[in-house]
Amino acid sequence: MKKVLSYFNKITIYIKDSFRRMVSAVKTDAMYRRFVYLFVGLNVILLLSELDIMNYSTVSLYAYIIIFTIVALGLNILLGFSGLMSLGTAGFVGFGAYGVVYFETLGFPYEISSLITIVIATFIGLAVGLFSLKVEGVYLAISTLAVGEIFSQIFKRVTWFTNAYGGVHYKYPTLLGFIELDRNMTYIFLSFVMVVMMVVMYHLTKSKTGRALLAMSRSNSSAQAMGVSISKYRLFSFVVAILYATIGGILYASFYRYVQPLDWNLMLTLLILAMVVVGGMKSIFGTFLGVFIIYGIPKLYLEDLFSSVSGVAYLFSGILIIVVVMFYPYGMIHVTHDIKKLYNKYKIHKQNKLKAGDGDE
Amino acid sequence: MSDNTNKSYVLKPGTLLDIQNLSMRFGGLTAVNNLSFDIKENEIFGLIGPNGAGKTTVFNCITQFYKDKDGIIIFNNKKNEIINLNDIHVEKIIKEGLVRTFQNVELIKDLSVIDNLLIGAHTLFKSDFIGHIFRSKRASEEETFYKAKALEILKFMKIDYLKDQYVAGQPYGILKKIGIARTLMSNPKLIILDEPAAGLNETETTELSKLMIQIKENYKCSILLVEHDMGFVMGVCDRICAINFGKFLALGTPDYIKRHPDVQEAYLGRDDE
Repeated sequence: MKKVLSYFNKITIYIKDSFRRMVSAVKTDAMYRRFVYLFVGLNVILLLSELDIMNYSTVSLYAYIIIFTIVALGLNILLGFSGLMSLGTAGFVGFGAYGVVYFETLGFPYEISSLITIVIATFIGLAVGLFSLKVEGVYLAISTLAVGEIFSQIFKRVTWFTNAYGGVHYKYPTLLGFIELDRNMTYIFLSFVMVVMMVVMYHLTKSKTGRALLAMSRSNSSAQAMGVSISKYRLFSFVVAILYATIGGILYASFYRYVQPLDWNLMLTLLILAMVVVGGMKSIFGTFLGVFIIYGIPKLYLEDLFSSVSGVAYLFSGILIIVVVMFYPYGMIHVTHDIKKLYNKYKIHKQNKLKAGDGDE
Repeated sequence: MSDNTNKSYVLKPGTLLDIQNLSMRFGGLTAVNNLSFDIKENEIFGLIGPNGAGKTTVFNCITQFYKDKDGIIIFNNKKNEIINLNDIHVEKIIKEGLVRTFQNVELIKDLSVIDNLLIGAHTLFKSDFIGHIFRSKRASEEETFYKAKALEILKFMKIDYLKDQYVAGQPYGILKKIGIARTLMSNPKLIILDEPAAGLNETETTELSKLMIQIKENYKCSILLVEHDMGFVMGVCDRICAINFGKFLALGTPDYIKRHPDVQEAYLGRDDE
């Protein structure tokens, strides 16, 4: 009994300590503040829609953006940091969505069925990662494409798991067995998970692990000479990417409550890839921006604007992507540097003008 | 001593690395042929030879980038155990106290200078990725500790003013310095430098030779270097080994090497008269 109490004490002290460090981190590190702003900003949208200022459906568009930000963050770790390629992302998102529904129908609570799905996905990720040790570049892309195709065939044909073309229905999640979430609460839950995943990525990439991944992607031999184990970090980045995709899938099922087999195709994978590239490799907020540009702008604005002629919206979003890639090949997030530069120029210009004015008097 | 290995190796006292009968073949080409030399503790050792003599191959053999070689490479590691480097995987070599640079620098361009140095300390970090995800106390303490160490090394190299700048866009001389600074992060016993003076101008080269001697004295380590700049090699090395077509030519002090007829022949050609 005493032992249990002392463990309990230790844990509470640890939690208190971590909390204190978290608070001080938010105070000192601007990055954390931005995460908080993003969380608040996303929830303001919910508030606006509740107040009837925004459409009811806007929230579900933003939920999609949130979900695919998580998925794209995973791909960003793989592509941006480790320099590896995967074309199987959509398959894993679908697996997450189907998995959580399936295990919940078996009678497990939401958290446990999510966990089981994640564990299974981790093992599949390890298998894909092991395979990736042997192939490079384009060949890796092709083989992961095959993995994605296997998934999409499973979704169409394995009836006991996915109900084939009928799709599976689900409900909003119940947390801890008694907190039943409604649509708005699920949205808040989604945005919370996204911010947590962003913090995880921020911590990972600004640590020894992130540096090792970068070292590996830039030069294998140099990384090896520095003691970075190529096989370990390759496996690691595949597992992380697949975990992010699976979590995205679980959230997809939780929010949309319906999963159907035709969504998880190569088209979706390529869109996720475009989100990472357009938004900015290695950038967390860039990934969010990328998802917003690829998915959000066409759905939120362009389709309304060109509602009279169907299809024109897609034309414009295509042109938009080309323009973005042309002017910001390293990702749209770098537009912030240009804005800062312009602002500084403007400030200096203003100061000079003031000085010139002083001289006249 | 290493009792757990079935074979125990011996090194003469004061010797750090002993290469015995090293041979490396690529198909029909023998790049290194029965080469033997040894490096003493706290010395700067030069490996010279004309283009294609197999110098870089020797480096890659020592650091285990090449497998399937003949001969043994005995090394007195960080824990003062005598080991054969051939038993060690290429990614574990740095843990034994042996670290190398590359001819074409191979830094990470989109990281800051100090972060590039921290990669050199990769094996010294004890925290794992779970600690990194939660940014545990231990992980962040480690991070600050090694950042301070990196800063100290940058100060020693007199490039600490660059610490937060990106590596991309730095001049070549600075890149070479960062490469050397990165090797120092791992507390090495032997640093292997692949053409440290290549691409440097004269002032930078003189600065580099001073730096080599300072590193040897401050960090108490040996340096093995391959270089084409003869002035640099003769000025900085304690001993030199000359090779040609993968074969041993001569080993000795710079003066001895300069006068050695075989070395002169390899570099200048034979006098027919």
